Amino acid sequence: MTDNYRLPESGKVDRSKPLNFSFNGKDMVGYAGDTLASALLANGTRLVARSFKYHRPRGIFTAGSEEPNAMVQLRSGDHTEPNTRATVAELFDGLTATSQNHRGPLNFDLMAVNDLLSPFLSAGFYYKTFMWPRAFWEKVYEPIIRSAAGLGKLSGNEDPDQYDKGFLHCDLLIAGAGPAGLSAALSAARAGARVILAEEDAIIGGRLNAETHEIAGDSADVWAETARAELAAMPNVRIMTRTTVVGAFDHGIYSAVERKTDHLATSAGKPRQVLWRIYTKRAIVAGGATERAVAFKNNDRPGIMLAGSVRAYANRFGVATGDAVSILTNNDTGWDTARDLVAAGVNLAAIIDTRDMAPLHSFAGTSIIMGAAVADTNGRLALSSIKLTNGQTIKTDCLAVSGGWSPNVHLTCHQRGRPTWRDDIAGFVPGGELPVGQSVAGAANGDLSLGAALNSGHKLGNALAKELGLTPTKSQAAKAADEPSSISAFWHVAGEGRAWVDLQNDVTVKDIKQSQAEGFRSVEHLKRYTTMGMATDQGKTSNVLGLAIMAEATGKTIPETGTTIFRPPYTPVAMGTLGGRARGKDYAPTRLTTSHEWGAKNGASFTEVGNWMRAEWYAKQGEAGWRDSVDREVIATRKSVGICDVTTLGKIDIQGRDAAAFLNLVYSNPFLKVPVGRVRYGLMLREDGICYDDGTTARLAENHFVMTTTTANAVLVYRRLEFVRQCLCPNMDVHLISTTDAWAQFAVAGPNSRALLSKIVDDVDMSNEGFPFMACANVTVCGGTPARLFRISFSGELAYEVAVPARYGDSMIKALMEAGQEFDATPYGTEALSVMRIEKGHVVGNELNGTTTALNLGMGGMVSVKKDSIGSTLAKRELMIADDVVRLVGIRPVDKSMKLDAGAHFLERGADTTMDNDQGWVTSVAYSPTFGHHIGLGFVIRGHERHGDIIRAWDGVRGKDIEVEIVSPHMYDPEGGIQRG
Amino acid sequence: MAKFDLQETPRLGGYTKEFGDSGMVLREITELVLTSLAMPMGGKTKLTAAVKDTFGLTLPTALKSKLSTDGQTRLVQTQPDQYFCLTSKPVPSAMASVAYVTDQTHGWVGLDISGPNVREALERICPVDLDPSAFPVHAAARTTMEHLGVLIIRVSKDQFCLLSASSSAESFLHAVELSIKNVI
Repeated sequence: MTDNYRLPESGKVDRSKPLNFSFNGKDMVGYAGDTLASALLANGTRLVARSFKYHRPRGIFTAGSEEPNAMVQLRSGDHTEPNTRATVAELFDGLTATSQNHRGPLNFDLMAVNDLLSPFLSAGFYYKTFMWPRAFWEKVYEPIIRSAAGLGKLSGNEDPDQYDKGFLHCDLLIAGAGPAGLSAALSAARAGARVILAEEDAIIGGRLNAETHEIAGDSADVWAETARAELAAMPNVRIMTRTTVVGAFDHGIYSAVERKTDHLATSAGKPRQVLWRIYTKRAIVAGGATERAVAFKNNDRPGIMLAGSVRAYANRFGVATGDAVSILTNNDTGWDTARDLVAAGVNLAAIIDTRDMAPLHSFAGTSIIMGAAVADTNGRLALSSIKLTNGQTIKTDCLAVSGGWSPNVHLTCHQRGRPTWRDDIAGFVPGGELPVGQSVAGAANGDLSLGAALNSGHKLGNALAKELGLTPTKSQAAKAADEPSSISAFWHVAGEGRAWVDLQNDVTVKDIKQSQAEGFRSVEHLKRYTTMGMATDQGKTSNVLGLAIMAEATGKTIPETGTTIFRPPYTPVAMGTLGGRARGKDYAPTRLTTSHEWGAKNGASFTEVGNWMRAEWYAKQGEAGWRDSVDREVIATRKSVGICDVTTLGKIDIQGRDAAAFLNLVYSNPFLKVPVGRVRYGLMLREDGICYDDGTTARLAENHFVMTTTTANAVLVYRRLEFVRQCLCPNMDVHLISTTDAWAQFAVAGPNSRALLSKIVDDVDMSNEGFPFMACANVTVCGGTPARLFRISFSGELAYEVAVPARYGDSMIKALMEAGQEFDATPYGTEALSVMRIEKGHVVGNELNGTTTALNLGMGGMVSVKKDSIGSTLAKRELMIADDVVRLVGIRPVDKSMKLDAGAHFLERGADTTMDNDQGWVTSVAYSPTFGHHIGLGFVIRGHERHGDIIRAWDGVRGKDIEVEIVSPHMYDPEGGIQRG
Repeated sequence: MAKFDLQETPRLGGYTKEFGDSGMVLREITELVLTSLAMPMGGKTKLTAAVKDTFGLTLPTALKSKLSTDGQTRLVQTQPDQYFCLTSKPVPSAMASVAYVTDQTHGWVGLDISGPNVREALERICPVDLDPSAFPVHAAARTTMEHLGVLIIRVSKDQFCLLSASSSAESFLHAVELSIKNVI
């Protein structure tokens, strides 16, 4: 197939670079510089899509990102992207595209039956139809609606493309590089401002590329290229093409999507798109204006297009949009289309101007009809003729419609700025409060003529440079004429039949009137009831038309009717772009202990704790499942010695003359008199008296402590301490710094821990007298490596924790294992750790769950009444210290073969399963290889007085109800003799 | 008694990589000693004098690091009354009499990134404005990149030192490496 509609001379496409592409399997040829839409039109392809609801044949309507109709499925396989606007898809060699939203071939869509059913499918159809019976909502109606909904299809597979994000900074962001944007960039950049000029299109110039204007005596696109070159040579300017500013956010922050490789056949492993966050001091919206249509019967046929777009196809792409083009306009710009088409050699059939006045021009062989409009159109799959309101019929295969221009106010609305109506241009201009630092220039501000746009951009660029403390240069705005642009509003042609307002959502004049008649009179209701202005185009070509028709139906003016406003994004953004590179395992960073590599080689299975990966157990060959490993690790630890990497616990270095006083304030139990060389367990409360965190804190020197926190709360506790330090105690001499990552720390637990460590630790009296329970010291290990030694126990065994600077961690785990070989030292993971702490009755996050008090936990005595500490006052509230609050208990099943489940609730035997009878709940459970049956911890009302009682653990979720005996939470070595060794 | 020797292992194994012929180089900084010096309340005069004596430097202010004339010591203010001291050997123990000293060497991983595309690469992860007018040589800032806390220092026009927590070193390296790959 050849491109029959390519004009011989006009256009900016590169005819030396032909590109092959296919649409619906048909091979065609276009040129570098084409969009898919221009190439399709050049090849005479009119029918490109089916409409959303009625499956009406649709063609290309615009030449830009506002396109409501011509959406295609671009590329194939996993790279396919649905709903791609053919008008912005740049052509590349090998491009494949298919039409979407039809069953059967595009020219014979079986779903077009919907069009015949249209009397039943009017506004509010879903709301009215799918109401009864209620049982059908999810099972019947929803699947039907979902299968019919949507346009294109996703591949269903993971997106193989890469995406990225980034951050940019500038004095001035200019959104749009048309005449106003370029003019502003020139004046601001010449004054020295750091400028980012973002342009949605692949080339600079905006409408200048689509018009035949002159600037400063040159053709306008030549001026645009000269301006681009001047800007590109300045180090303070960054020009970003293929970049759409999609949102205006707080504090002058904008988001923009840069399409890096969408114009190429492949991305070659680079990100396809980049989502930028742009920090600006000032911003100029120079987004131009979008043309809108006029509503008349059957105004949606392929071949009916916006007049400015028809002009763009001729001037920029060298494409004739038809063999005999006619024009319907209510303003002067429609005549620009006539002039340019004639100049390009396109056959012009007729000009119909709704204004009853003298024609602006005459063209040989072209009928000119003033004061009339189009009443109806014909042509099944493409336009063949139009019928005018004066009864005349004109053969034409392309109707170029101009209903006037709507300034692109979108970015001015993103913080609820509400546009205001201007009668002289029949359009909304930015109004209300704009986002901080934002200004508007050119057509986006209602300066619709070229001269005005150049001037307003120039002035604004200078004014903002001055605001930024820079000195504007004396340069003048480029000179251009103010071409005629007068308009007389004309919205729709009354009459029977369906006249389309919103092509993308198949909303007609009738739908709008019906919506009004049914009481949806606010524009916001109108939008939601009819779906006008929704979906990928967000009503760029239709909103104002819809409002005008609504206003007419209510007998109000447009300003009285009001307008909907816009939210980000300005144009559709793929979910992949929003996700950027944060996918799969790169969604969040991971933290690894220094024994990770060793663990991985020794059977470790890892679990996520916060961002940490912790070994949960170390499987050995022959073990049938995790329980085998965990049971073995517990038994080996209790029998001889086990080693666990506890690096992940938070470590906070606390120094200062007031360090002890500071700790005395943040912990509920006393810390003033902890001797140097001793560790103390501390309980931290929230201000409201609920437990916050717990851990041990070691006093290494008079003014130097090291606090440990739970793994999950390390950051929260640090933040809290900083708050206390900076805000509550600004006069204390105390400093904090995290050392969590600086030390690799290992628990060495079990009867042989002392013997093992004696081989590692240099010259320390490890005897009970020399280094008793809760001792700590700076030591050296393995012949001089600095280390810290703590005699603390989470397992209930004789146990130590030894810490070395992190880079020795890998070597340290190997040394410990080697030294422990003679004791059959066993590495253990978080599961064995958990089993042992449950056996011992130590609490963790399951018990410190943000609702429990020290009294609940059996640690009421740790809230000192002799001093002030955070939370101690509110911990005294009556309900928190009442006798009948829940208390921490241990439990074991009466039938020892039964498994316990965390989350079960306690009920008395024989009691009904009601909330009133609730006695508490199970927090932690484990199979205890030490006792040979399941055990658990939980909270029971007055549980401390009920040891020995039998009660039920009722689990409605799992359908279990078993009898358990309440015991002391300290099931293993309740006297503590073992750990004191 | 058997002796067990402990070996120091750089967190990223001494990673170093040149990215084709792009001129971009990424390298783990393994030779750095990192020490936090916190100023005792009322101790500014003493600390200032000691820093002058020991390193020949005045205390830095936020966002501007100070490099000693021999290039061996860099001081960065990391929060009010707290300074990071980047040296090639441990700071003299006498500093403990004028500051609360915490060894941070093992808590951090350092990456040296350099080359003609260094700004383009860092733009993908670094929210700080790295334009030379805003972030000249020796500028320093604490920020986040890919959710990780980072101390960034401009070493020269096209060279930055990035310090981040050592436990997430692999994730951090991946973030920086990917940023380079994405722009060259």
